Amino acid sequence: MDDKFDCIIVGGGIAGLSAALTLARSNMKFLLVERGEFSGAKNVSGGVLWGSRLADLVPDYWQEEAGFERYVRHRRLTFLDDQSAFSIDFKSDHFNEQPYKGLIVLRSKFDNWLAGKVEEAIAESSYPEDSFIATNILVDTIIMESGRAVGIRTGEEEFHADVVIIAEGVNNLLTRQVGLQDNYVPADYMATGVKEIIRFDQNVLEDRFQLDGNSGLTNEFIGFASDGVEGGGFLYTNKDSVSIGLVLNLKSMRENLSQDRKVYDILSHFKSHSAVKDMLRGGEVVEYSAHVVSTGDQRALPRELYTDGVLLAGESANLLLNSGKAIQGMDYAMESGILAAETVAEAKAKGDFSKNTLKEYRKKLDDSYVMKDLRNFQSAVQFLHSHEMFTSVPKVVNEFGRSFFTVDNKPTPKTPAMLKDAVSKHSSLWNMIKLGIKGARSL
Amino acid sequence: MKFIVCIKQVPDVYAPLQIKNGELSMDTDRMVLNAYDASAVEEALVLTEQHGGEVEVVLIGPDKAKETIRKALAMGASRGHHIHVEDSTGLDSAAFAEILTAFFEKNSCDVIATGKQSQDTDSGLAGGMLAAHLSLPYAANAVGLHIDGGNTLVVKRQGDTGQEMIALPFPCLVTCSNDMNNPRIPSLKGIMASKKKPVESLTLEDLGLTLDGVRESVKTTTLSYREMPAREAGKKLEGDAEELVSNLLNLLQNEAKVL
Amino acid sequence: MSSILVYISTNGGKVKRSSLEVLSHCREQAGKNGLELAAVVLDPRAEDYIDTLQSYGAKTIYTVSNPIFINHLNAPVSQALEQVIAQSKPRVFACASTEGTKDVLGALAARTGGAALPDVAAFDVTADGVSALRPVMAAKILSQNDARADLILVSVRSGSYDASPSPVVAGVVPVDFVPADISQVLRDVLSSAGDKIDLSEANVVVAAGRGIKDEEGKQLVEELADALGAAIGASRAVVENGLFPATTQIGQTGKVVSPELYFAVGISGAVQHTAGMSNSKVIVAINKDGDAPIFQMASYGLVGDLYKILPLLTAEIRALKSA
Ligand SMILES: Cc1cc2nc3c(=O)[nH]c(=O)nc-3n(C[C@H](O)[C@H](O)[C@H](O)COP(=O)(O)OP(=O)(O)OC[C@H]3O[C@@H](n4cnc5c(N)ncnc54)[C@H](O)[C@@H]3O)c2cc1C
Ligand SMILES: Cc1cc2nc3c(=O)[nH]c(=O)nc-3n(C[C@H](O)[C@H](O)[C@H](O)COP(=O)(O)OP(=O)(O)OC[C@H]3O[C@@H](n4cnc5c(N)ncnc54)[C@H](O)[C@@H]3O)c2cc1C
Ligand SMILES: Nc1ncnc2c1ncn2[C@@H]1O[C@H](COP(=O)(O)O)[C@@H](O)[C@H]1O
Repeated sequence: MDDKFDCIIVGGGIAGLSAALTLARSNMKFLLVERGEFSGAKNVSGGVLWGSRLADLVPDYWQEEAGFERYVRHRRLTFLDDQSAFSIDFKSDHFNEQPYKGLIVLRSKFDNWLAGKVEEAIAESSYPEDSFIATNILVDTIIMESGRAVGIRTGEEEFHADVVIIAEGVNNLLTRQVGLQDNYVPADYMATGVKEIIRFDQNVLEDRFQLDGNSGLTNEFIGFASDGVEGGGFLYTNKDSVSIGLVLNLKSMRENLSQDRKVYDILSHFKSHSAVKDMLRGGEVVEYSAHVVSTGDQRALPRELYTDGVLLAGESANLLLNSGKAIQGMDYAMESGILAAETVAEAKAKGDFSKNTLKEYRKKLDDSYVMKDLRNFQSAVQFLHSHEMFTSVPKVVNEFGRSFFTVDNKPTPKTPAMLKDAVSKHSSLWNMIKLGIKGARSL
Repeated sequence: MKFIVCIKQVPDVYAPLQIKNGELSMDTDRMVLNAYDASAVEEALVLTEQHGGEVEVVLIGPDKAKETIRKALAMGASRGHHIHVEDSTGLDSAAFAEILTAFFEKNSCDVIATGKQSQDTDSGLAGGMLAAHLSLPYAANAVGLHIDGGNTLVVKRQGDTGQEMIALPFPCLVTCSNDMNNPRIPSLKGIMASKKKPVESLTLEDLGLTLDGVRESVKTTTLSYREMPAREAGKKLEGDAEELVSNLLNLLQNEAKVL
Repeated sequence: MSSILVYISTNGGKVKRSSLEVLSHCREQAGKNGLELAAVVLDPRAEDYIDTLQSYGAKTIYTVSNPIFINHLNAPVSQALEQVIAQSKPRVFACASTEGTKDVLGALAARTGGAALPDVAAFDVTADGVSALRPVMAAKILSQNDARADLILVSVRSGSYDASPSPVVAGVVPVDFVPADISQVLRDVLSSAGDKIDLSEANVVVAAGRGIKDEEGKQLVEELADALGAAIGASRAVVENGLFPATTQIGQTGKVVSPELYFAVGISGAVQHTAGMSNSKVIVAINKDGDAPIFQMASYGLVGDLYKILPLLTAEIRALKSA
């Protein structure tokens, strides 16, 4: 059949585009379908693409500046109670080296840029006129024939391929349709992300956050940020704006939020903290968005990441890790997209698209940092779930900070005594020791 | 019957934008097919579907603007002409009309369709200028088109107090309002077909022009941009209908003093 | 002495307010630049407007009387204007921005070799040209534009200036105009009901949006407009679904209005709509969605169901007016 593709990719997010770029470079004939008006149109993200994998996909990407906002040079983790902020702060020239280890991106721009790279790769491939990125098209169904996926349906039209890569993101309707994910994923494994983009004069932003050239700051927040709901806050510096937001556990929100309080109210609460307010002063909110995101709980992973004629990449498979020091969803999407495409290329070479070959994808993922970290940091994910992490811990930390940094005309207690005092005010020593051990083990 | 539709790639007015040192800066480099031109393409497609014939499109713009030509081809136009001008900053409607004139002196058709205006600048000049240069009868602000007897275009145009039905003998020009129709969203088959459709690449030199020459004919310049003075949000009234109405009347009478 | 020539639009036997606004501003500009103020009227009975025009300060009035101008058709209009421009050689040609003038401005600029600045919100004649402010990007931004040419054509958004009389005695120049062969044919004029009061001239406008769902809602709007003596406007949404005629559309594609009092009824406030009404003095918004963007620009925002609010409001206004 003339218009049968080697591969159809559903979804033009980072997973789908990374797969597409890899397929184009492997001279495969493929179709990528994105429902948004353009890649990135529907994508919300707080915005750090961790790791340096992008440099493999787009060598020397830093030469052109387009695509990303800033690279990560300065990192900060802040514990907030209602009056104070206690931060662990790390800034290093080591982060200045290219390829960068973290890029702050705005998805509407980054995805669109990456899609442009895919178009270029298509033009240089053996199928300049037969591989496509098609936008503004919603895939309704994956066509299954005797248990294997053979193509997609959109409206009245059907298109066929040897393999379908589902990269539809967190709403994973198609993943469920092909039976790889349960219809019901417990709310405990899901979170809701809210984000605002707040714009500044670029000079003001660079002065305020001590940014130099393209360098950027990432700041994670624990405590007061989420107002008693499990979750945390983030602030990332873009070129002339900051992305500020929260990731909040859905179940915990249901349990701790009264009817009339909305996610937005927690965001306002977070922004009203004096430490945060000082950072945002004079900025103008230009965008607000909210989106579901997985928590990185392994139990949310689909039954399998492949079946006959299908591979799952990115958040459609809930591949994401939130270990407290970073949210890793985009880099997982990129890695899994690349590995899925490599598997497709190998299957094509073998002429076998059954589970038997496609299971190689699982193997590759298992061997990669994606599954390794997902497994190894499960306890960190659980640790973050502990109620103390967003209630008593930040209080203890700040209580300690307050006594440690206060210089007064009174006899000063020794540090261990201060610590003990801080702990006993907000928790018990025993609880903290348990938590400390748990934390030390998990990270 | 042959239509050639002039299409322009414009920045997406929905995308956040700001002004830096008097210059306009778009957060995303998102560019789209001018909505009015999309309506012109749609109407030309409908008419040729009914009466036979074909629709071609012509665009002046940078390399990146090819995606906009593809969009029109994906809708159903059969052929594109890309007049390549990589940097058109500073060119005004008069300059674009001059280039289009040179193009149409070499490419004939029954109906030239343009948008009634560019969505970003709202100029609304190029169509009338082109018609004048080519000495073609034209009508602006069409909200409906039909073909009469195979060689007449009947334009329903939106006027100030009503609508005028104007018959234009071929060849003619019409500028289209987006109130005419809702442009189709290309189907996946349409998108796929668009890649195989011919797009002719032209340079200004191919049309006997030079960029410097065109720039010389520019008579208007944009010096700077500034924010529109914003209106302050006033009072927001809540309550049941009775309260709302009595509060409003009170304010209109005693505060705004307009009743 | 060189001049500013103002092209006058008329409707129902009267000079449009927007043309008088332009005339008044041009009078001031002419004074500053040592130019003469001239006006041109195209009408079956162009002489009828002389009194009005000289009371607003037009020193020379070109009257082009011809039955062809009973309805709008762009070819004779641009031919006649081209002829008057050739005769009077103005430095600046100005007009109110209307559907009629938009139809000819581009062609006229091309035919006269002039520079065109369409749809400006403000302009100044300078020693060597014209500088103007134009709303762009769906009226989110103002751009500062300059034109340099022997002739500059400007069209002005309605409501940009106040119309203020300043009587003079004008010299009248009747123009002998014979339309050249015109290949376009005006087949029909469809005038819609609903423009009993000219929208772009109205002091009070009641505009309906998608919140108006049916004939019943439409009637509520009509009754409110009637009680207020207001013109009816509409958003694109209700023009598209056929509830309101296209002549009532306000916004980027439609008309620009700047009344004393504007009611946005069931209108969300998309930029393409507000592009046409943000210059209104007092804006009242009625919308059941408290987060609708229209509330960010409304002087008074009523959060509630229009179907409940309008009947009461109409009744109260009727009571007030009869008191
Ligand atoms: C507030 C917030 C902050 C975050 N911060 C970070 C961070 O700092 N770092 C990080 O790495 N990750 C972060 N994440 C997570 C990250 O955004 C996701 O993990 C990542 O976007 C997943 O990429 P993806 O390509 O799998 O899916 P997506 O980016 O969601 O892309 C899926 C695409 O598929 C399209 N699609 C869906 N269904 C269909 C269909 N049926 N037909 C056609 N197209 C379809 C969608 O339109 C979309 O474009 C954050 C998430 C949120 C919500
Ligand atoms: C190039 C271009 C040009 C355009 N030009 C124009 C133009 O000239 N003019 C124009 O208007 N639009 C124009 N548009 C369209 C514009 O973008 C919007 O789609 C349009 O203005 C929406 O109309 P609306 O506010 O009536 O409808 P909606 O956006 O659907 O809003 C309806 C509102 O009614 C409220 N509502 C519903 N029921 C009730 C009730 N019972 N009581 C109270 N409130 C209720 C809702 O809360 C909602 O806010 C243009 C678009 C483009 C792309
Ligand atoms: N660069 C261009 N390429 C093709 N057509 C154009 C271009 N610029 C303007 N036009 C056409 O002219 C119309 C009016 O343009 P404007 O005078 O800019 O409002 C547009 O709707 C297009 O149809």
